Amino acid sequence: MIRYFFGRLVYGVVVLALVTVFVFIAITFIPSDAVDVMLADSGATEEQAEELRAELGLDQPVWQQLGTFIANAARGDFGRSFFTGESVVDLFLARIPVTLQLGALALVIGTLIGLALGIIAALRRGTAIDGAVRVTAVAFLSVPNFVLGLLLLTALGLWFAWSPPFVYRGPTEDFGSWAQHMLIPAIALGTASMAGITRMTRSSLLENLGSQYIRTVRAKGAGERLVLFKHAMRNSVIAVLTLIGVDLATVLGGTVILEAMFSLPGTGQLVYQAVLDRDYPVVIACTIFYAALFIFTMIIIDLLYAFIDPRIRAAREAGR
Amino acid sequence: MSSDVAGSPLAPVVPDEPRSDGTTPATPRTSQAPPRRRGPAAFWAGLKRFVRTEKLGAVSLTLITIFVVLAVFAPLLAPYDPLLQHRRNITEAPSGTFWLGTDDLGRDVLSRLVYGARASMVVSVVTTVVSLVLGTAIGVVSGFLGKRWDLVIQRLMDAIQSVPPLILLLFLAVVLTPSMTSTIVALTIVITPSFNRVARGETLRIREETYIEAARSTGSSALRTMVRHVLPNMAAPMMTMASLLFAGVIIAESALSFLGIGTPPPTPSWGGMLSSGARYVELAPWLILAPGIVLSIAVFSFNLLGDALRDFFDPRLQR
Repeated sequence: MIRYFFGRLVYGVVVLALVTVFVFIAITFIPSDAVDVMLADSGATEEQAEELRAELGLDQPVWQQLGTFIANAARGDFGRSFFTGESVVDLFLARIPVTLQLGALALVIGTLIGLALGIIAALRRGTAIDGAVRVTAVAFLSVPNFVLGLLLLTALGLWFAWSPPFVYRGPTEDFGSWAQHMLIPAIALGTASMAGITRMTRSSLLENLGSQYIRTVRAKGAGERLVLFKHAMRNSVIAVLTLIGVDLATVLGGTVILEAMFSLPGTGQLVYQAVLDRDYPVVIACTIFYAALFIFTMIIIDLLYAFIDPRIRAAREAGR
Repeated sequence: MSSDVAGSPLAPVVPDEPRSDGTTPATPRTSQAPPRRRGPAAFWAGLKRFVRTEKLGAVSLTLITIFVVLAVFAPLLAPYDPLLQHRRNITEAPSGTFWLGTDDLGRDVLSRLVYGARASMVVSVVTTVVSLVLGTAIGVVSGFLGKRWDLVIQRLMDAIQSVPPLILLLFLAVVLTPSMTSTIVALTIVITPSFNRVARGETLRIREETYIEAARSTGSSALRTMVRHVLPNMAAPMMTMASLLFAGVIIAESALSFLGIGTPPPTPSWGGMLSSGARYVELAPWLILAPGIVLSIAVFSFNLLGDALRDFFDPRLQR
């Protein structure tokens, strides 16, 4: 199992290295020189621009820039913002808690409600409740998270004169304010996952409940609660976990729009502002950080599979 | 966006084999079975069967047809010029003259919605078709050649898929100058690996089938085998995947326009309408309600179609 884990870890690092190479190949396609954009309104001379280019390493060929980047990255230096000169690592680390809180809250809300609705629909198969849950799920699967965020913001503003707080306060600092700030964007972000998980739970549970081993459990005289939670659900959770992994990418991306909409100072805001400012070092480093975040969370999910399913654990211990 | 889960558990389907809809098989499976229809005739026959057996699929096809008609005939259907500013009717509520009201510059919301369908459909159709072709080609070649080729190609695809889609789109927005073409290029880069993954998986499965062995033993070249035998046998999962990814592309296109890095204004786009409408939300809620609902219905139609296609092609589901 440990060997398997290290294998995955090494593989994750390889993919991350490929992402870095891809990013540096892509930036050679940048149309206008970054320095020209920076100095557009400053009235700097061409000489000063050259100086700045040399300082930022932009006069070197791309492979050399990539080499420098990797050498510096190995020492924990991922570059500095063009505009403020701050270290990208510091900028990212200062904002990541907000993004992780938002993403985690969204996934927790989506998973809990999704599981509950999925179980209800499966147990009441063919009834009006089942129908209502299924239709709601398909509908919510189709509302983009930023549209839902906008609609929630509008509705709450019009009916309750509510608007998100202007200043973000951490959960330990002022829990009430934090909850107010986080809950609505988290609901907007988690709803699509909720709908997907509802559908997955329902179909997977129905499949498992109809299988031979459940009949055996029932034949032993086990109560319905035991059948559901100890036997059928355990097999369905694997499918749901896979779906959470897929949703993770959408949720991480979605934080960008929802942070901007609800003025949450997370990494999404950081990367979006950097894109608008064409602050290349920040955009490059953040792209790589997001990939790292995604890759390593997927490894954790992969480990959870083995934790939940002894068959997967056994297969891996036998050497894949 | 990359809903691999949605596309993966697709069962193999033999092409043109009649789907039995419950009690009796549609065609007796004897040697006297009618000759296989090919080309347009087979397509229309399949479509008819699809509409008959999948009620929700029929609904989704109707909705999609409406969107396509709106996009194609936008100049004929829109009541006004989408860019014309009715200066006396700024942020006017929906009325007989302006069915869905006007925006902050006095432009007719309905006309902008109709033209917005055009932007959305053009980007989504081109992106989906190009990535479908590209992703299938990469996946089939990679799966068919195997060995080192497969290893290298799939690691590259993994690299693209390891960046969350919207983050990758933001990064590409910095690299490319904003235009509709750039949006399509960026979305194609993001979507292609998902098609590749399904196509490769299907190829690995099909490669082991006896009919491939038969084809190869009769001297069919690798290229011919891929085109004549591998490709037709993965049509079903690829179509389902295309429909589901199409829905994702619609969302992504509008998200980019919403962030101001997609379809550049003043060209009407649903995402752009949402972001400019957001500023006047308390004054004129219809400015976000109209594009929000239309966008959601468009996504809904393609999700529904994907679901229906999956059920339609799944021989295990017999009703």
